[in-house]
Amino acid sequence: MTFFENEVRPLLVKRCYECHSDTKQKGGLRVDHIGYLKSGGDTGPALVPGKPDESALIEAVRYANEDFQMPPKGKLPDAEIAIMENWIKMGAPWPEDPAKKVVVTEGGFTQEQRNYWAFQPVKKVSPPNTGGSWGRSDVDRFIAAKQSEMKLKPAPEADRHELVRRVYFDLHGLPPTKDQVDAFVNDKDPRAYERLIDEVLASPRYGERWAQHWLDLVRYAESDGYNQDAYRPHAWPYRDYVIKSFNEDKPYDQFVREQLAGDEIAPDDPEVLIATAFMRHPVYEYNLRDIRGQWDLIVTDMTDTAGELFLGLSMGCARCHNHKFDPILQKDYYRLRAFFTPVHWRDDLKLVTPAEKEAFDQQEAKWMAATAEIRAKMDALTQPEIDKRVKTWLVSFPEDLQAMTNKPADQRDSLEKQLAGLCKRQLDFARASFDPMKDIKDEKAKTEYKALREALNKFDHLKPEPLPEAFVVTDAGPKAPANKLQTRKGDLEIEPGFPAIVDSAPLKITPTKTSTGRRTALAEWITRSDNPLSTRVIVNRVWQYHFGRGIVGSSSEFGTLGELPTHPALLDYLTKKFVEGGWHFKALHREIMLSATYQQTARREPDEAVAKIDPANRYLWRFNPRRLDAEQVRDALLAVSGELDLTAGGPASDGNGTRRSIYTRKKRNSPNDLLLALDMPAGFTSIAERQSTTTPTQALQLLNGDWLRARARHLALRSKSIEDTWIAVLGRQPTEQERATADAFLKTQMARVKQAPPKNEIAANDQGFKVNTPHERLLVSVNDKEGDEFTVESIVKLDSVDKNAELRTLVSHWDGGKASLESFGWSIDVTGQKSRYKPRNILMLLVGEDENANISYQVAASDIHIEVGRRYHLVVQVSSARHSITFTVRDLDTPGAKAESAIVQIERLSKLSQGASPIYLGGLGKRNPTRQWDGQIEALRIVSGQTADNMLNADPDQWKSGIFIWRAADPLRSQFTWSGADSEAAPEDEPLVKAMTSLCQVLLTSNQFFYLH
Amino acid sequence: MHCHRYDLPNSRRDFLQTAGCGFGAVALAALMGEQAHAAPQQLPQRMARAKSVIFLFMEGGPSHLDTFDRKPLLNELAGQSLPASFKTPLTAAGEGKSPLLECKRTWKQHCQGGLWISDWFTQVARHADDLAVIHSCASSGINHAGGVCSMNTGSLFGGRPSLGAWASYGLGTENKNLPAFVVIKDSESTVVNGVRNWGAGFMPAVYQGVEFHPDGTPIKYLDNPKGVDRREQREKLDLLGKLDHDFNASRASNTELEARIRGFELAYQMQAEAPGAVDLSKETATTKKLYGMDDAATATFGRNCLLARRLVENGVRFVQLYSGAGSKWDSHAGIEARHSQLCHSVDRPIAGLLSDLKARGLLEETLVIWGGEFGRTPMSEKGDGRDHNPTGFTMWMAGGGVQGGRTHGATDELGLYAVEDRLHVHDLHATILHLLGIDHTKLIYPHMGRPERIDQNEGRPYTKLV
Repeated sequence: MTFFENEVRPLLVKRCYECHSDTKQKGGLRVDHIGYLKSGGDTGPALVPGKPDESALIEAVRYANEDFQMPPKGKLPDAEIAIMENWIKMGAPWPEDPAKKVVVTEGGFTQEQRNYWAFQPVKKVSPPNTGGSWGRSDVDRFIAAKQSEMKLKPAPEADRHELVRRVYFDLHGLPPTKDQVDAFVNDKDPRAYERLIDEVLASPRYGERWAQHWLDLVRYAESDGYNQDAYRPHAWPYRDYVIKSFNEDKPYDQFVREQLAGDEIAPDDPEVLIATAFMRHPVYEYNLRDIRGQWDLIVTDMTDTAGELFLGLSMGCARCHNHKFDPILQKDYYRLRAFFTPVHWRDDLKLVTPAEKEAFDQQEAKWMAATAEIRAKMDALTQPEIDKRVKTWLVSFPEDLQAMTNKPADQRDSLEKQLAGLCKRQLDFARASFDPMKDIKDEKAKTEYKALREALNKFDHLKPEPLPEAFVVTDAGPKAPANKLQTRKGDLEIEPGFPAIVDSAPLKITPTKTSTGRRTALAEWITRSDNPLSTRVIVNRVWQYHFGRGIVGSSSEFGTLGELPTHPALLDYLTKKFVEGGWHFKALHREIMLSATYQQTARREPDEAVAKIDPANRYLWRFNPRRLDAEQVRDALLAVSGELDLTAGGPASDGNGTRRSIYTRKKRNSPNDLLLALDMPAGFTSIAERQSTTTPTQALQLLNGDWLRARARHLALRSKSIEDTWIAVLGRQPTEQERATADAFLKTQMARVKQAPPKNEIAANDQGFKVNTPHERLLVSVNDKEGDEFTVESIVKLDSVDKNAELRTLVSHWDGGKASLESFGWSIDVTGQKSRYKPRNILMLLVGEDENANISYQVAASDIHIEVGRRYHLVVQVSSARHSITFTVRDLDTPGAKAESAIVQIERLSKLSQGASPIYLGGLGKRNPTRQWDGQIEALRIVSGQTADNMLNADPDQWKSGIFIWRAADPLRSQFTWSGADSEAAPEDEPLVKAMTSLCQVLLTSNQFFYLH
Repeated sequence: MHCHRYDLPNSRRDFLQTAGCGFGAVALAALMGEQAHAAPQQLPQRMARAKSVIFLFMEGGPSHLDTFDRKPLLNELAGQSLPASFKTPLTAAGEGKSPLLECKRTWKQHCQGGLWISDWFTQVARHADDLAVIHSCASSGINHAGGVCSMNTGSLFGGRPSLGAWASYGLGTENKNLPAFVVIKDSESTVVNGVRNWGAGFMPAVYQGVEFHPDGTPIKYLDNPKGVDRREQREKLDLLGKLDHDFNASRASNTELEARIRGFELAYQMQAEAPGAVDLSKETATTKKLYGMDDAATATFGRNCLLARRLVENGVRFVQLYSGAGSKWDSHAGIEARHSQLCHSVDRPIAGLLSDLKARGLLEETLVIWGGEFGRTPMSEKGDGRDHNPTGFTMWMAGGGVQGGRTHGATDELGLYAVEDRLHVHDLHATILHLLGIDHTKLIYPHMGRPERIDQNEGRPYTKLV
């Protein structure tokens, strides 16, 4: 022992502790106790007592193996190596220090680690007998027992108004309607509340709310989330699958099995297969040449998410080293990873039954046979250029990947299939970048191609409707690719398995003909009724969504970094019941919601004692007050304004529309403004708990955003009185004081609107457009939209351009914004002196939706420069389908002048005419004095659709069609309204509507509306 | 919910009366106090000079080889392929084996410190003695999305807070009516990955960057709704305040409710004051000229630089200016033309910013950072361009207590790999926080039970800059 204390321990401290003791454990190894040395690190035991030659420690310090040398800084003096050898030869004696007793059990875990609560089996517990009178259910007895221990008392029961609001928001994410409130409040049946819960659970609105919780957890999104952020148009069936599963009360174990292994357990059932989209949510970049790196990150993402979501363990920490705080080994991480390494992102499957696929194939074969010749001719025109593009892209891959891609598909091994699949996606992108109409340069060939295409179209009657694409995964094959853990001693192949501390039993996996069967094994294990983690984790999540806080406060972290359960026995009780009852969520909701604990009021202020004992309300001495989350707010706004569109399922809609939030488009890089401001997650990582933030920029949006203001206006239009407003927004009558306050507000507002100064007298129409006069701009009311294909024809004269870089706007259907659907639109303008497009250039600005459903802003400059003071016949033809804008300009003051024309290519844009701004001549929808037209707009018309050139005419009297025709010489018709320096931009609502709108807006942003408290 | 014991004023009026004294801190505390997590406890703040940061982000990847990192060997070997002694890198466009491309610049040593700077930055070069040039930066992102996300958040993917968010989380704001973290782009184009580059990630939204538009309305939603004037807005807020106040009165334990009233008041103040912060009409013609606002080619970035100075003066903690928003510095082909134009567009404005900050005594407390998401390769692409190079590139810092006129670290003889004092993005972030007086290992945000740091536990501050 003296030898150990004098020689060995100091040596270990000096030479090894820095990297291998309590603070760092490189390679998973600690040397500060013999137990650790014996169990070793990633590469096995470090020391075999009595056998120095078999001890890795000695091998390392001897510098015998080039890849395995310790300490890395330099070889130890021989004398020190000898000391270690001698000590191990002696049997490696280590003095027991009773104060620091470490019991290292099998697998290298300490007894303390093994005893950690979350790894213990779920116990069968009976509810405590508290003897008190409070409470209705077993849940309450657990809560009451803890409260009495903590010297806390429960809050009184919430009144029926509070309760009905809570229940609807909780289960539907929507406020109750007036009828729903009345029905419950006036229900005399003693079982009224129970019936309410059953009724609300039975509604399809339930799935639309609770699916959102799950979508947060699986980081659901509908775009790639990287630079291009391409839209994932086939992701939504997964969202519908989740909603449907909740509505059908699908058992959780089945729900998990389908998502992890739907392809293995029911490959032919599209309703199950779609569940595997769960593994398609990682972010992706369409052109990343580092294919291997990208795939590695995708597998990592799947592994980390599964660990957090199902097991409540931050496995991610163990990717690079053994977990610092929990007994999760780096090997455990790789064991979990091994379940996902065989995954293959499939882009070739359809979401249909085999019979439907068969029918499709037969029909398609007919079409193919009938059109073979035509298509061959078309290919001959396009293929050389496409091949060139593909080749250029292909050679930019590393050579090994090129080789994989060039290999016949049936000769690829699993990893090659995965990687070649990713390469193929990129090559498909290169292929699709070829647009025949744009890229066939030879005019003759293009004409030929067009003719062929028309010929092809004649066979459309034979062509089957395309099948829905399947956004799913399978395995790449029955044999899994390598899953290597890199260690100093080389790579270790890690087989699938579970965290050793929970289950180290060997795993039996049965591969099928096409699949490794690994994920089925994982799903079976996660859904085992005796799994101590996954069962508690899901029950705790449900509790958290009801109460705002889980029994374990950190619901995705059950490890030591997380919080301890406040009511461990209750968690076990509910978990057992949930699992034994068949894993049904609805039963669990019932159990929780029927408790007195859930029915407590939130309206209880803590007295001094309570504030001291439990300020955070962990022991539920009242119901937790909560702010509505993003989707609840947005949906409630639509519900109370009477605009909520309850169309269920299908492709997503724009967030500025009126469908429920769960059905709005989830673009990772361009989220909906309102939802984002209210803390909707961005969809990059699994989110277990929403934040509730308050910022001035959020307040600005609520005060000034068009969308919310429009909801307020709708509500104002359907409210006949202050009472109506209160009932719609808050589900109750206003108090006397509130009524008086609101009334006074309305009166002030209306009085002021009436005092507004009279508008200037309007002068004649043909004086031209001039800033700071009553004739700044001309507002045009139209019934029809111009669409994405239209022509603007005009006779104009411009007297000046801006001396800086500002534009002069001839006509607009746009407010100048670039960020929202409401700002979609366009304008035709002339550049100023300092413009980077050079002065007097005619251009068009457009904001619309591109092919990836991104908002896109484009400038199309004609590079035709006009002169000031001259009359022109100016025609702009917009064709979104042809990706082009054609400008044609002819000088009318020079007899015989030829028309100049320019075709400018643009990206394909849609929804150009869907913005909120009306059409204005001479400026934008929003007044901007420096951007006003200065001069004449003698005539102007907009014709929807494509226009033949022979319809154009420099004599406006000959104009026949158009969504409107403006001729300055004509008397002013009612569809035109002059807008001057003093007049408001938009037609005003009448004073009462305007005042009511403001009142409604205030109520819709109030704390009462935003909070369940 | 946390139980914070802030002295809550009873009404809007009380609130506004207290506004004069120490309002900024109280407001911030109140605004974030009720969030999931409170601001970190008093960090043991090192003596630091830098109080605010202006990050000049050249988006798309400026070439270090043609600007600040002189490599004579490159021109000797131009046209040949990378010598065998260099490991072939995996590059974004797969140009590992393409011939080396010569640098066409003329280089000079500048000022006392004798820094080599090319003729693309002749104006900035006059400030050479203020620049600490780091030649050995490295990033994990080989393409724009990963690179820009990494330089901003330390991660290739979204989901983590950006550097500006960490800085405002660590230090708070010094201005009640402006956001702590402001972003300004030089065009309407979207920065790669969009708004999440200045997002708060898993932190509360108070820490996220707010985009300022240099023209017209500086902040989205700052203008009243159509047809609503300021008086009406005030009346609406008064009504809201009254309703909320009545509601809150019996719910005092829910501090979020009070914070919301303040949020609206702050918004109202911001409506009044934010336009002033970007109003350059009070700046003299001389100042504007200093920033290059008299020349169309430099006017845009010059204006943004001047705005940055005004924002920093107004107590904004972190300003990020994008040059070439939408990867315009990217130069896979025709680097001569692209870089000439872009370097020219920022050279005078940056020099102006440095001069102006210095003249006002602000440079000492303002850390100016220049760089992109990566540099460019010595290998050519498409004959006259350069591919992305994240394995070794240059950034420089000035002000904020940094010692100028010096270079740090080095790339190899061709500027491909950082070989000396390599500073990964994680180290850069740790270094920047260090310059702000924050020990980055102590600036922790608890998320999902994990103590998260800006560097994902991988960075070390480079302390030789001071």
